[in-house]
Amino acid sequence: MSTERIRNFCIIAHIDHGKSTLADRLLEKTHTITSREFRHQMLDDMDLERERGITIKASAVALKLVRNGQEYNLNLIDTPGHVDFSYEVSRSLGACEGALLLVDASQGVEAQTVANAYLAMEHNLAIIPVISKIDLPQSRPYDVLTEMEKTLGISPEEAFMVSAKTGAGIDEIFDAIIKHIPPPKDSSDAPLKALIFDSVYDEYRGVIIYLRIFDGSVKVGDEIYMMKTNRSFKVEEVGVFKPKMVAKDGLSAGEVGYCIANIKSIRDIKVGDTVTHARERAAEALPGYRPPIPMVYCGIYPANNADFHPLREALERLSLNDSSFTFEPETSQALGFGFRCGFLGLLHMEIVQERLERESNINIVQTAPNVTYEILKINKEIVKVDNPEKVPPVNEIEEFREPIVRASFVLPTEYLGAIMQLAEARRGNYKGTEYLSEKRAILTYELPLSEIIFDFFDKMKSATRGYGTLDYDFIGYEHADLVKLDILVSGKRVDALSTIVHRKDADMKGRKLVKKLKNEISRHLFEVVLQAAIGSRIIARESIRPIAKNVTAKCYGGDITRKRKLLEKQKEGKKRMKSVGNVEIPQKAFLSVLSVDE
Amino acid sequence: MTSKKHILPTALYIHIPFCAKKCNYCDFNSMVSESRVVDRYLHALSKELNTLESQYTFTTIYIGGGTPSLLSAIQLEGLLRGVIRYNPTSQTQEYTVEANPGTLTADKVRLLKEYAVNRVSLGIQSFQDRQLQFLGRIHSGDDARNAFSLLRNAGFKNINIDLIFGCPEQTPDDWKKDLEIAIALNPEHISTYALTYEEETPLTRDLKNEVIRKLDEYTELEMYKTAIEYLTLKGYNHYEISNFAKSGYECSHNYVYWRNTSYVGVGAGAHSFIDGMRMSNEKDVFRYIHGMHENKKDVKSFRECLPQDHFVSETVIMALRLRQGITNTDFYERFGSTIQDQFGDTISILRKAGLVSYDDERLKLTEKGLFVADTVMAEFIYI
Repeated sequence: MSTERIRNFCIIAHIDHGKSTLADRLLEKTHTITSREFRHQMLDDMDLERERGITIKASAVALKLVRNGQEYNLNLIDTPGHVDFSYEVSRSLGACEGALLLVDASQGVEAQTVANAYLAMEHNLAIIPVISKIDLPQSRPYDVLTEMEKTLGISPEEAFMVSAKTGAGIDEIFDAIIKHIPPPKDSSDAPLKALIFDSVYDEYRGVIIYLRIFDGSVKVGDEIYMMKTNRSFKVEEVGVFKPKMVAKDGLSAGEVGYCIANIKSIRDIKVGDTVTHARERAAEALPGYRPPIPMVYCGIYPANNADFHPLREALERLSLNDSSFTFEPETSQALGFGFRCGFLGLLHMEIVQERLERESNINIVQTAPNVTYEILKINKEIVKVDNPEKVPPVNEIEEFREPIVRASFVLPTEYLGAIMQLAEARRGNYKGTEYLSEKRAILTYELPLSEIIFDFFDKMKSATRGYGTLDYDFIGYEHADLVKLDILVSGKRVDALSTIVHRKDADMKGRKLVKKLKNEISRHLFEVVLQAAIGSRIIARESIRPIAKNVTAKCYGGDITRKRKLLEKQKEGKKRMKSVGNVEIPQKAFLSVLSVDE
Repeated sequence: MTSKKHILPTALYIHIPFCAKKCNYCDFNSMVSESRVVDRYLHALSKELNTLESQYTFTTIYIGGGTPSLLSAIQLEGLLRGVIRYNPTSQTQEYTVEANPGTLTADKVRLLKEYAVNRVSLGIQSFQDRQLQFLGRIHSGDDARNAFSLLRNAGFKNINIDLIFGCPEQTPDDWKKDLEIAIALNPEHISTYALTYEEETPLTRDLKNEVIRKLDEYTELEMYKTAIEYLTLKGYNHYEISNFAKSGYECSHNYVYWRNTSYVGVGAGAHSFIDGMRMSNEKDVFRYIHGMHENKKDVKSFRECLPQDHFVSETVIMALRLRQGITNTDFYERFGSTIQDQFGDTISILRKAGLVSYDDERLKLTEKGLFVADTVMAEFIYI
């Protein structure tokens, strides 16, 4: 097949704007899957993706379309919609010539609509604007057209209206894809140049790499060479996604598919790398991607110290399919041996934690997440600190720096005040307001990342009654007056409870934190004293009274089983705790550092 | 012959799940019913009694509830006659019936005496009307005193009084007064129970709705200490967490539970422990009656073959309720190992904290451990 009849495209959208449903409809209309195989949101592979209604990993599918007696080969590459995964979006874009920019007819332009549209423009993709969910009674497609014109400079005439639910407008989309998205360049004769845009690990087949062939071709038996990792592999199988993997003899320029080459570990390859032939190598590699930078870190420890090795194995298993998640062993005086884990964002952290609990049977204790700080020492050395424990002594610090992001909020204008208030309270720096229409605006702030990693998103949602959306970009490090806040339990400093806070908030946060811990830690047979300190200065103190009386008077007649069950419950509760000195601290307490605002 | 481990049960419990009115704090299996239902229940009960293995010989019998004294004189006589037919009194050393001062009459007392009942447990709870009203009891303080005299005058030489402490707004003085009145009656046995807030009782509902407030833990502890000090001073031996007795009047029937040996329970919701198997009967009175009338052998709704580790745990936990605790001799005889073989680490931690004492022979709670007994006992659970 000549590249004339190939189109490679992706769908980009804000979360929940109907991306997966539209993809389902495209699959169905092209008979890529029979209705018997059909289940909603075909492309969301993981149970978690389907449950949470979000796409986490990119995936690809080949559609066969017949138009005017011609058979076209359309490759659809699905993209994640959440801000944490924007790096995965850019990976998908690099493999396409065009993008469907999907906007919900009732929600309108949202933060990730703008962010993803700009990404697509940066990649020089042909953009087909699509307004979705036009069947809903509250839809306002014409307002949305205006918003798209204002923010993205998209002419209203270019846009298509669809309802993925009823199928209305789907055929026109196919026509637009063929008409507006350019076919890939036909360069099958050039040396092989293929982009790895994703990979998954399969227990039986090893690493499966997702490829977009830009130049040349690849077939079974070929010796391939990875230009960045300098490794060679022999191709065992190539094929396309329909959406299940279907083997083919070879893939050539313009095509999207997979390649299996006896690759044992996901660490042996690099997403963004260029695949070429070992013998006849391409002169230079494709531009590739910048590697994802973990923005949020937390400690993950086994509740039971004996589970350290099983936990390591579980983390290794998870990282097989998620190269953006990092972990390194660390030791805490309070928690023993565990791992410092890095995530793209809070959602990413939650997902990893949830998968960890679901897929392994280990009780874990997680510490409060923090960002990576930069510290300029007196001796002019710059150190990166991803754990409050690693903050050098005060007298060695010349300057404390924290990561700053540029945050864009898209929201109805009536909530501007509420969000400005929220952003100011989080040490935000106002940058501007841009009106999409009379009723909606984009508000821009520069904010310390540490202020938005925990509950900021939820707060923003409730302040805007769910109508506000947020996107952010890391812009750099800035000086800030930060201190390390320590917590002492019965006179012992608990390293896992230390946090880095702004000096002006330190007293308030210290007081609230010990109050909160007082409620989280249950009473013991002795008094438990809780203190907050900055350096050697104690700034707050609470104490937990000891248990005076805990004895069941009755023994429930002959119902000894009941008595035993009551005691079992008591003991079971204790198992999920971490004992620090002789104080039992529940897992929840380690996270209480986060929510001292309430 | 049965194996050494499974000694034949020697204790029989009979449950009467009826009350004139349900008390505010009570979550035991009992209900308010018409006399007709009680008749049918007693019939079912006698059927169950007759299905029991004939080789059982019970040295203790305990008829509890509910309110056994609620039965009419005719119903009571029928029940007592059935029990005696099944287990001739010559073998019975302790035969207890629970009674409520509000439903105990001279007729019924005479019947108890006639059918060889030799111990009556009187659910007095308090002698103060304000307290009784709060608890939702049907009797007054005077009724309680009268019921006690009725029993004494009929010649009962072993009477227990149940008392409750720790009600909201009860003062330590109120409690002391209850104890004094109890002592003045000179019962052989006194049980003092701290008020417990059980799920799905009117009392707990009031607590959740903030109609009442729990008495603070420190006052409750003070009351408990008062009971121990005062009753000990008056010659009662504090032999179990909640129980006090004059020498020789400790409750033999309850010892069976505390020593975790075999017992048989009959009636709706009654528990049995036979041959290492824990069982309980269908709790619902109507389903129980129906089941027995279907000529089933029994109406068990729960069976658990007690695993050895649970059995060992339970045995230590129940024994810790006794002030004398458990001896290694006894433990070794039952389980073929010593207490420290099984619980060495736990014991050493608890000893260091001053919660148990262990001298290589006897393990028991210290006074400090007594007040937090549940926390201590949880350490002996295998999980």
